[in-house]
Amino acid sequence: MQYILIALRNLSRQRRRTFMLGGAIAFGIMVVTLINGFAGSFVDNVGENFSQLLAGHIFVEGVEKTGTREVRVIRDDDVLTHTLEEQQIPTRFISRRSNFDAEIVFQGNTIRQNIVGADWTREEFLRERLNLVEGSFDELTTENELGQRQGLILSKGIADRLRAQVGDTLTLRMRTVNGQQNIGDFRLVAISYDPGLFGSLSGYADLAYVNQLIGLQPGEYQTLGIFVDSISQIDTYFEPYYQTLENRVQVFPRNQGEEGQNQVEALFRAAEEDNWEGVRYRLYTLNDVLEQVQQIVDLLNNASLIILLVLFFIIMVGITNTFRMIMIERVKEIGTVRALGMQRHDVMVLFLLEAFFLALGGALLGLALAGITMFILGLINLGLDSAIYILLKNGYLTFLLSPWQVLLNFSVVIGLTLAAAYVPSRKAAYLSPVDALRA
Amino acid sequence: MVHFRNLLLVFLLGFGVIFPLVSQTSTDRGQAILTEVDRLSNFEDRDFSAVYTIVSDRPGEDQSVTQARLFRRDRNDQFVILILQPQVQRGQGYLQIDDTVWFYDPESRRFERSSLRDDIQNSDAQNNDLNRSSYTDDYTVESMTEGQLGAFPVYLMDLAANRSDVSYDRVKLWVRKDINLVLKEENYSVNGRLLRTILLPRYVAFGDRYLPTQVLIVDEVNTGQRTQLTVANPSIDAIPDVVFTRQYLERVSN
Repeated sequence: MQYILIALRNLSRQRRRTFMLGGAIAFGIMVVTLINGFAGSFVDNVGENFSQLLAGHIFVEGVEKTGTREVRVIRDDDVLTHTLEEQQIPTRFISRRSNFDAEIVFQGNTIRQNIVGADWTREEFLRERLNLVEGSFDELTTENELGQRQGLILSKGIADRLRAQVGDTLTLRMRTVNGQQNIGDFRLVAISYDPGLFGSLSGYADLAYVNQLIGLQPGEYQTLGIFVDSISQIDTYFEPYYQTLENRVQVFPRNQGEEGQNQVEALFRAAEEDNWEGVRYRLYTLNDVLEQVQQIVDLLNNASLIILLVLFFIIMVGITNTFRMIMIERVKEIGTVRALGMQRHDVMVLFLLEAFFLALGGALLGLALAGITMFILGLINLGLDSAIYILLKNGYLTFLLSPWQVLLNFSVVIGLTLAAAYVPSRKAAYLSPVDALRA
Repeated sequence: MVHFRNLLLVFLLGFGVIFPLVSQTSTDRGQAILTEVDRLSNFEDRDFSAVYTIVSDRPGEDQSVTQARLFRRDRNDQFVILILQPQVQRGQGYLQIDDTVWFYDPESRRFERSSLRDDIQNSDAQNNDLNRSSYTDDYTVESMTEGQLGAFPVYLMDLAANRSDVSYDRVKLWVRKDINLVLKEENYSVNGRLLRTILLPRYVAFGDRYLPTQVLIVDEVNTGQRTQLTVANPSIDAIPDVVFTRQYLERVSN
């Protein structure tokens, strides 16, 4: 205890030096903590935003194959929903969607866009997620004289490229599920903000009209999306669901992809290449879709660790030099305490304790500064039209820190500081008391 | 009164019995003409190769020119399309083996599944437009009338797809009466809207077979969008078997 007090007193004796060294450590920790915090919320925010746009956490697609003919359709989902209930998977919502790849034609301009058919009377969350620049959701459910709901929502980027405005009638060219050419008129009822990096991902229309254009019957659709109660439990719920379905219907085997190939990509390739006939279901999760996002997060975390190591290599050089100076400054002091009976080991402990408290103080200060910075950044509304909207939570930056990541950073910093101070401390400990007093 | 009843009977007989018979004869004749259309434009007993130049005009965009070499072996339902131009797409190719069409990209060195219905290099032309004619396989004649198209007396035929996986659900053909060659074609969507018009003003004869050497495809949805195909160096010389393989596409693309 006494050594601790002496170490702290020594640190306070040279406040400016302590502040500079501790400040350097704090800066390093702050930068790394900010990167870690951003990476931590990256997956959650992207996952949450994507689950809203894709309408689910677990996805099931039906594929009918006859010869080389492949039709993507779910005609009857009883077994799918029944298994869900039977497995007692806590489900928040089930979405049923169809989509087609369209060429949108408007006044000589053309653009390709995926169009998703959603049930707007049920998918309330999509209304919350899609932030509109112009127009409203109300007209999506307005029927024309043929009973068709021709409303269409496009992102701002797509609408601008087409030079289309709310109220304009657009012609969309698509293929039916059998591959036949078809065409449909849509009325642009709203324009949404581009959802950032993945802007222009999809346009949205009414499910029944989309089904009619792609040749599906009422009640049929292409993708069943299941929202479970917790995004972190997706894999836990998925495994038993997949295994049970595997025994009841034909499903595409998972984990068949080549090395480095995305799970979803592998599942789609399997449908094309495998020699099979009948009805099969393709099951995948949001985590499969976001596999590459997780890779980005791992990359960010690894980059932050490298930054931490580079920063601290520079700081270590400073710490080693400073402790050498401290040793020279305190040579007489060391000689005195050694002459009074203090052991070499105790001298070294005293120096190392000083280094430890310097590192700990710097790390704590860095963590506090990172916290303040995160708080301030979290208050700034980057806007719904931000280029990084998909990474944000309702337009705000969020940070999520894992305690283990903080502990790892602290351990690295303290470990490196102690290593940097070790050589000068050892030198101080091994000074001869007589030489030290004479110096 | 009896007289009127007899007249009504004759009238009903006329429409109820004779008209369907006439109509039946007309569609039967139409089907025979369609078979002749296919026969005249297919090379069942020999190979066929040519260089196609595809010029596409899209409103607001620069004209794009694609050149492709086509190899066809109709008797085996095989074809290879090798892109020669533009330079950035040079080496890409399509290969049909049985019912499957593969697209080869030399950059990724991978074959991706494609379709006869896919567009060639973002033009209005589809793989199918360069392939053998198969009206009789895909369509049934619903009605046929006679008319005139420019200087040519023609049969105007309404065709309905007999399978749900044919690109166009309905097709209208203007077929020359003297030699059964298609001069004009209209393609319709599932919901009956005109999608594209194809004009075939020029043919070249190879013995008793004919090949359109100029084809104009007009996009009826996007006004101003059109594609013109012209054929150069047509040949019916035998093509080595190796051409119709994946290895050939990989080799010539390098």
